[in-house]
Amino acid sequence: MQWMTLFQKETLENWRNFKWLWVPITFILLAALDPVTTHYLPVILEKSGELPEGATFDLPTPTPPEAFLLSFGQLNLLGVAVVLLMTMGIIASERKSGVTELILVKPVRYTAYITAKWASTLVLILVSLFLGLLTSWYYVNILYGDLAFTIMLGSFFLYSVWMTFVLTISIFMNVFFKTPGLVGFLSIALIILINSLNGLVSRFIDWYPSQINTYIRTYVINGTTNGDLLLTIIITLLLIIVMLISSVLVFRKKELAA
Amino acid sequence: MEQTFSEVISSIPWGIVAPLLVIQAILLIVALVDWFRIERTNGPKWVWLIIILFFNILGPILYFLIGRRNNG
Repeated sequence: MQWMTLFQKETLENWRNFKWLWVPITFILLAALDPVTTHYLPVILEKSGELPEGATFDLPTPTPPEAFLLSFGQLNLLGVAVVLLMTMGIIASERKSGVTELILVKPVRYTAYITAKWASTLVLILVSLFLGLLTSWYYVNILYGDLAFTIMLGSFFLYSVWMTFVLTISIFMNVFFKTPGLVGFLSIALIILINSLNGLVSRFIDWYPSQINTYIRTYVINGTTNGDLLLTIIITLLLIIVMLISSVLVFRKKELAA
Repeated sequence: MEQTFSEVISSIPWGIVAPLLVIQAILLIVALVDWFRIERTNGPKWVWLIIILFFNILGPILYFLIGRRNNG
Protein backbone atom coordinates (compact mmCIF):
# COMPACT_ATOMS: atom_id res chain seq x y z
CA MET A 1 0.00 0.00 0.00
CA GLN A 2 1.24 3.43 -0.91
CA TRP A 3 0.63 5.02 2.48
CA MET A 4 2.67 2.36 4.26
CA THR A 5 5.57 2.88 1.84
CA LEU A 6 5.62 6.59 2.56
CA PHE A 7 5.30 5.94 6.29
CA GLN A 8 8.21 3.51 6.20
CA LYS A 9 10.27 5.97 4.18
CA GLU A 10 9.69 8.68 6.80
CA THR A 11 10.50 6.32 9.66
CA LEU A 12 13.68 5.19 7.93
CA GLU A 13 14.66 8.82 7.46
CA ASN A 14 14.05 9.48 11.16
CA TRP A 15 16.45 6.64 11.96
CA ARG A 16 19.06 7.87 9.54
CA ASN A 17 19.14 11.40 10.95
CA PHE A 18 19.25 9.99 14.51
CA LYS A 19 15.86 11.39 15.49
CA TRP A 20 14.97 8.02 16.97
CA LEU A 21 17.93 8.42 19.32
CA TRP A 22 18.04 12.03 20.35
CA VAL A 23 14.32 12.77 20.66
CA PRO A 24 13.63 9.97 23.20
CA ILE A 25 16.79 10.89 25.13
CA THR A 26 15.78 14.56 25.18
CA PHE A 27 12.33 13.73 26.50
CA ILE A 28 13.76 11.39 29.14
CA LEU A 29 16.20 14.04 30.36
CA LEU A 30 13.55 16.78 30.28
CA ALA A 31 11.07 14.74 32.26
CA ALA A 32 13.50 13.22 34.76
CA LEU A 33 15.83 16.11 35.61
CA ASP A 34 13.40 18.29 37.55
CA PRO A 35 12.12 15.64 39.98
CA VAL A 36 15.70 14.46 40.63
CA THR A 37 17.28 17.90 41.12
CA THR A 38 14.39 19.11 43.28
CA HIS A 39 14.93 16.15 45.57
CA TYR A 40 18.62 16.85 45.93
CA LEU A 41 18.31 20.65 46.06
CA PRO A 42 18.96 20.93 49.82
CA VAL A 43 22.05 18.69 49.48
CA ILE A 44 23.29 20.61 46.44
CA LEU A 45 22.89 23.96 48.22
CA GLU A 46 24.68 22.64 51.30
CA LYS A 47 27.53 21.07 49.36
CA SER A 48 28.09 24.08 47.16
CA GLY A 49 28.75 26.06 50.34
CA GLU A 50 27.36 29.31 49.04
CA LEU A 51 25.09 29.81 52.00
CA PRO A 52 26.05 32.29 54.73
CA GLU A 53 26.93 30.75 58.07
CA GLY A 54 23.89 29.71 60.08
CA ALA A 55 21.40 30.36 57.31
CA THR A 56 18.61 27.86 57.40
CA PHE A 57 15.57 27.60 55.28
CA ASP A 58 13.02 24.92 54.83
CA LEU A 59 12.23 23.82 51.35
CA PRO A 60 8.85 22.14 51.31
CA THR A 61 9.21 18.57 50.12
CA PRO A 62 6.86 17.98 47.20
CA THR A 63 4.39 15.13 47.44
CA PRO A 64 4.76 12.36 44.80
CA PRO A 65 2.04 13.85 42.55
CA GLU A 66 3.57 17.32 42.80
CA ALA A 67 7.00 15.94 41.92
CA PHE A 68 5.53 14.09 38.93
CA LEU A 69 3.85 17.30 37.76
CA LEU A 70 7.25 19.03 37.65
CA SER A 71 7.92 16.92 34.55
CA PHE A 72 4.85 18.34 32.83
CA GLY A 73 6.10 21.84 33.58
CA GLN A 74 9.30 21.11 31.67
CA LEU A 75 7.53 19.27 28.85
CA ASN A 76 5.07 22.11 28.37
CA LEU A 77 7.88 24.57 27.92
CA LEU A 78 10.88 22.78 26.42
CA GLY A 79 9.16 19.62 25.16
CA VAL A 80 6.74 21.65 23.06
CA ALA A 81 9.62 23.85 21.85
CA VAL A 82 11.60 20.75 20.80
CA VAL A 83 8.60 19.36 18.89
CA LEU A 84 7.97 22.65 17.09
CA LEU A 85 11.62 23.31 16.22
CA MET A 86 12.08 19.71 15.07
CA THR A 87 9.06 19.80 12.75
CA MET A 88 9.31 23.37 11.47
CA GLY A 89 10.99 22.24 8.25
CA ILE A 90 9.26 18.89 7.88
CA ILE A 91 7.35 19.91 4.75
CA ALA A 92 8.46 23.53 4.29
CA SER A 93 12.13 22.73 3.64
CA GLU A 94 11.22 19.88 1.29
CA ARG A 95 9.08 22.26 -0.74
CA LYS A 96 11.83 24.84 -0.73
CA SER A 97 14.50 22.41 -1.92
CA GLY A 98 12.21 20.72 -4.44
CA VAL A 99 12.11 17.26 -2.86
CA THR A 100 8.33 17.50 -2.72
CA GLU A 101 8.17 17.85 -6.48
CA LEU A 102 10.36 14.79 -6.89
CA ILE A 103 7.95 12.79 -4.78
CA LEU A 104 4.77 14.24 -6.19
CA VAL A 105 5.73 13.67 -9.83
CA LYS A 106 4.91 10.08 -9.13
CA PRO A 107 1.26 9.28 -8.56
CA VAL A 108 1.48 9.97 -4.84
CA ARG A 109 -1.70 11.16 -3.20
CA TYR A 110 -1.42 14.47 -1.35
CA THR A 111 -3.33 13.00 1.55
CA ALA A 112 -0.85 10.15 1.84
CA TYR A 113 2.13 12.49 1.68
CA ILE A 114 0.89 14.73 4.51
CA THR A 115 -0.59 12.07 6.77
CA ALA A 116 2.41 9.74 6.46
CA LYS A 117 4.70 12.55 7.60
CA TRP A 118 2.30 13.43 10.39
CA ALA A 119 1.93 9.83 11.57
CA SER A 120 5.62 8.94 11.54
CA THR A 121 6.50 12.03 13.59
CA LEU A 122 3.58 11.40 15.91
CA VAL A 123 4.81 7.87 16.68
CA LEU A 124 8.29 9.22 17.41
CA ILE A 125 6.97 11.95 19.73
CA LEU A 126 4.53 9.71 21.60
CA VAL A 127 7.11 6.96 22.17
CA SER A 128 9.55 9.60 23.45
CA LEU A 129 6.87 11.13 25.68
CA PHE A 130 6.02 7.74 27.12
CA LEU A 131 9.66 6.92 27.87
CA GLY A 132 10.12 10.34 29.47
CA LEU A 133 7.08 10.04 31.72
CA LEU A 134 8.01 6.45 32.58
CA THR A 135 11.48 7.57 33.73
CA SER A 136 9.98 10.43 35.72
CA TRP A 137 7.47 8.06 37.33
CA TYR A 138 10.30 5.67 38.23
CA TYR A 139 12.33 8.39 39.93
CA VAL A 140 9.29 9.80 41.73
CA ASN A 141 8.62 6.34 43.15
CA ILE A 142 12.20 5.96 44.36
CA LEU A 143 12.74 9.47 45.67
CA TYR A 144 9.34 10.70 46.85
CA GLY A 145 7.03 7.75 47.44
CA ASP A 146 4.33 5.74 45.76
CA LEU A 147 2.58 7.02 42.71
CA ALA A 148 0.19 4.66 40.96
CA PHE A 149 1.25 3.39 37.54
CA THR A 150 -2.27 4.02 36.26
CA ILE A 151 -1.85 7.73 37.07
CA MET A 152 1.22 7.78 34.85
CA LEU A 153 -0.61 5.96 32.06
CA GLY A 154 -3.68 8.18 32.34
CA SER A 155 -1.70 11.40 32.27
CA PHE A 156 0.29 10.07 29.32
CA PHE A 157 -2.89 9.51 27.33
CA LEU A 158 -4.24 12.95 28.21
CA TYR A 159 -0.96 14.65 27.38
CA SER A 160 -0.59 12.78 24.07
CA VAL A 161 -3.76 14.50 22.88
CA TRP A 162 -2.16 17.88 23.62
CA MET A 163 1.12 16.86 21.95
CA THR A 164 -0.77 15.66 18.87
CA PHE A 165 -2.50 19.03 18.78
CA VAL A 166 0.88 20.82 18.95
CA LEU A 167 2.31 18.65 16.15
CA THR A 168 -0.74 19.21 13.94
CA ILE A 169 -0.43 22.99 14.35
CA SER A 170 3.15 22.72 13.10
CA ILE A 171 2.10 20.60 10.08
CA PHE A 172 -0.67 23.09 9.34
CA MET A 173 1.81 25.99 9.35
CA ASN A 174 4.22 23.98 7.21
CA VAL A 175 1.70 23.87 4.39
CA PHE A 176 1.35 27.65 4.22
CA PHE A 177 4.95 28.81 4.25
CA LYS A 178 8.15 27.64 2.65
CA THR A 179 10.56 29.13 5.18
CA PRO A 180 11.17 26.77 8.12
CA GLY A 181 12.12 29.64 10.45
CA LEU A 182 8.84 31.42 9.79
CA VAL A 183 6.89 28.19 10.32
CA GLY A 184 8.62 27.64 13.67
CA PHE A 185 8.07 31.21 14.79
CA LEU A 186 4.38 31.24 13.86
CA SER A 187 3.69 27.85 15.47
CA ILE A 188 5.36 28.92 18.71
CA ALA A 189 3.47 32.23 18.64
CA LEU A 190 0.18 30.40 18.07
CA ILE A 191 0.79 27.95 20.93
CA ILE A 192 1.71 30.83 23.27
CA LEU A 193 -1.45 32.67 22.19
CA ILE A 194 -3.62 29.59 22.75
CA ASN A 195 -2.08 29.04 26.18
CA SER A 196 -2.37 32.66 27.27
CA LEU A 197 -6.02 32.85 26.27
CA ASN A 198 -6.69 29.85 28.48
CA GLY A 199 -7.31 31.89 31.65
CA LEU A 200 -9.78 34.17 29.91
CA VAL A 201 -11.60 31.61 27.79
CA SER A 202 -11.92 28.95 30.49
CA ARG A 203 -14.30 31.24 32.41
CA PHE A 204 -16.82 30.82 29.65
CA ILE A 205 -16.16 27.40 28.16
CA ASP A 206 -14.94 24.13 29.67
CA TRP A 207 -13.62 22.49 26.54
CA TYR A 208 -10.74 24.75 25.52
CA PRO A 209 -7.82 22.56 24.26
CA SER A 210 -5.13 23.86 26.62
CA GLN A 211 -7.50 23.06 29.50
CA ILE A 212 -6.10 19.53 29.10
CA ASN A 213 -3.08 20.64 31.13
CA THR A 214 -5.34 21.80 33.96
CA TYR A 215 -7.20 18.49 33.80
CA ILE A 216 -3.92 16.58 34.01
CA ARG A 217 -3.08 18.49 37.23
CA THR A 218 -6.36 17.55 38.86
CA TYR A 219 -6.08 13.99 37.64
CA VAL A 220 -2.55 13.45 38.97
CA ILE A 221 -3.26 15.10 42.34
CA ASN A 222 -6.76 13.76 43.03
CA GLY A 223 -6.80 10.66 40.88
CA THR A 224 -10.16 11.68 39.45
CA THR A 225 -11.20 13.77 36.51
CA ASN A 226 -13.66 16.57 36.72
CA GLY A 227 -15.71 18.75 34.47
CA ASP A 228 -15.83 18.30 30.78
CA LEU A 229 -12.62 16.38 30.26
CA LEU A 230 -14.23 14.09 27.72
CA LEU A 231 -15.70 17.01 25.79
CA THR A 232 -12.32 18.79 25.80
CA ILE A 233 -10.64 15.69 24.39
CA ILE A 234 -13.29 15.27 21.71
CA ILE A 235 -13.12 18.96 20.70
CA THR A 236 -9.31 18.82 20.54
CA LEU A 237 -9.37 15.66 18.44
CA LEU A 238 -11.92 17.28 16.12
CA LEU A 239 -9.68 20.34 15.76
CA ILE A 240 -6.76 18.02 14.94
CA ILE A 241 -8.78 16.29 12.21
CA VAL A 242 -10.02 19.61 10.79
CA MET A 243 -6.46 20.98 10.70
CA LEU A 244 -5.17 17.82 9.00
CA ILE A 245 -7.88 17.86 6.34
CA SER A 246 -7.41 21.56 5.64
CA SER A 247 -3.62 21.04 5.48
CA VAL A 248 -4.14 18.48 2.71
CA LEU A 249 -6.58 20.77 0.87
CA VAL A 250 -4.32 23.83 1.07
CA PHE A 251 -1.28 21.75 0.13
CA ARG A 252 -3.05 20.32 -2.92
CA LYS A 253 -4.15 23.76 -4.03
CA LYS A 254 -0.67 25.25 -3.59
CA GLU A 255 1.10 22.39 -5.34
CA LEU A 256 -1.29 22.38 -8.27
CA ALA A 257 -0.85 26.12 -8.63
CA ALA A 258 2.93 25.88 -8.49
CA MET B 1 32.53 22.54 56.00
CA GLU B 2 35.86 21.43 54.61
CA GLN B 3 35.36 18.26 52.67
CA THR B 4 37.76 16.19 50.73
CA PHE B 5 37.03 15.43 47.12
CA SER B 6 36.48 11.75 47.78
CA GLU B 7 33.94 12.52 50.50
CA VAL B 8 31.93 14.58 48.09
CA ILE B 9 32.18 11.83 45.47
CA SER B 10 31.01 9.12 47.84
CA SER B 11 28.09 11.23 49.05
CA ILE B 12 26.57 11.29 45.57
CA PRO B 13 23.86 8.64 45.14
CA TRP B 14 25.35 7.04 42.02
CA GLY B 15 22.60 4.44 41.62
CA ILE B 16 20.19 7.25 40.91
CA VAL B 17 22.38 9.70 39.06
CA ALA B 18 24.34 7.22 36.92
CA PRO B 19 21.53 6.25 34.46
CA LEU B 20 20.92 9.90 33.68
CA LEU B 21 24.63 10.49 33.15
CA VAL B 22 24.79 7.46 30.85
CA ILE B 23 21.99 8.61 28.55
CA GLN B 24 23.43 12.12 28.59
CA ALA B 25 26.74 10.59 27.44
CA ILE B 26 24.94 8.65 24.67
CA LEU B 27 23.38 11.92 23.48
CA LEU B 28 26.82 13.56 23.43
CA ILE B 29 28.43 10.65 21.55
CA VAL B 30 25.66 10.44 18.95
CA ALA B 31 25.94 14.19 18.35
CA LEU B 32 29.73 13.90 17.95
CA VAL B 33 29.48 10.92 15.57
CA ASP B 34 26.95 12.79 13.49
CA TRP B 35 29.12 15.93 13.55
CA PHE B 36 32.07 13.94 12.18
CA ARG B 37 30.05 12.31 9.42
CA ILE B 38 28.09 15.32 8.24
CA GLU B 39 29.53 17.41 5.46
CA ARG B 40 28.13 20.83 6.23
CA THR B 41 26.21 22.38 9.07
CA ASN B 42 24.17 25.52 9.43
CA GLY B 43 26.90 27.99 10.16
CA PRO B 44 30.60 27.22 10.76
CA LYS B 45 31.20 23.59 11.57
CA TRP B 46 33.79 24.14 14.33
CA VAL B 47 31.37 26.38 16.27
CA TRP B 48 28.97 23.45 16.53
CA LEU B 49 31.73 21.24 17.93
CA ILE B 50 32.27 23.76 20.72
CA ILE B 51 28.54 24.00 21.38
CA ILE B 52 28.19 20.18 21.49
CA LEU B 53 31.16 19.74 23.81
CA PHE B 54 30.73 22.63 26.23
CA PHE B 55 27.01 23.07 26.67
CA ASN B 56 25.75 20.23 28.77
CA ILE B 57 22.62 18.44 27.43
CA LEU B 58 21.45 21.59 25.66
CA GLY B 59 24.42 21.65 23.27
CA PRO B 60 23.76 18.33 21.50
CA ILE B 61 20.00 19.02 21.40
CA LEU B 62 20.57 22.43 19.81
CA TYR B 63 22.93 20.83 17.32
CA PHE B 64 20.30 18.31 16.21
CA LEU B 65 17.53 20.93 16.13
CA ILE B 66 19.32 23.78 14.40
CA GLY B 67 22.89 22.92 13.46
CA ARG B 68 22.13 19.90 11.38
CA ARG B 69 20.96 20.52 7.83
CA ASN B 70 17.92 18.36 7.68
CA ASN B 71 18.00 17.97 3.96
CA GLY B 72 21.71 17.60 3.52
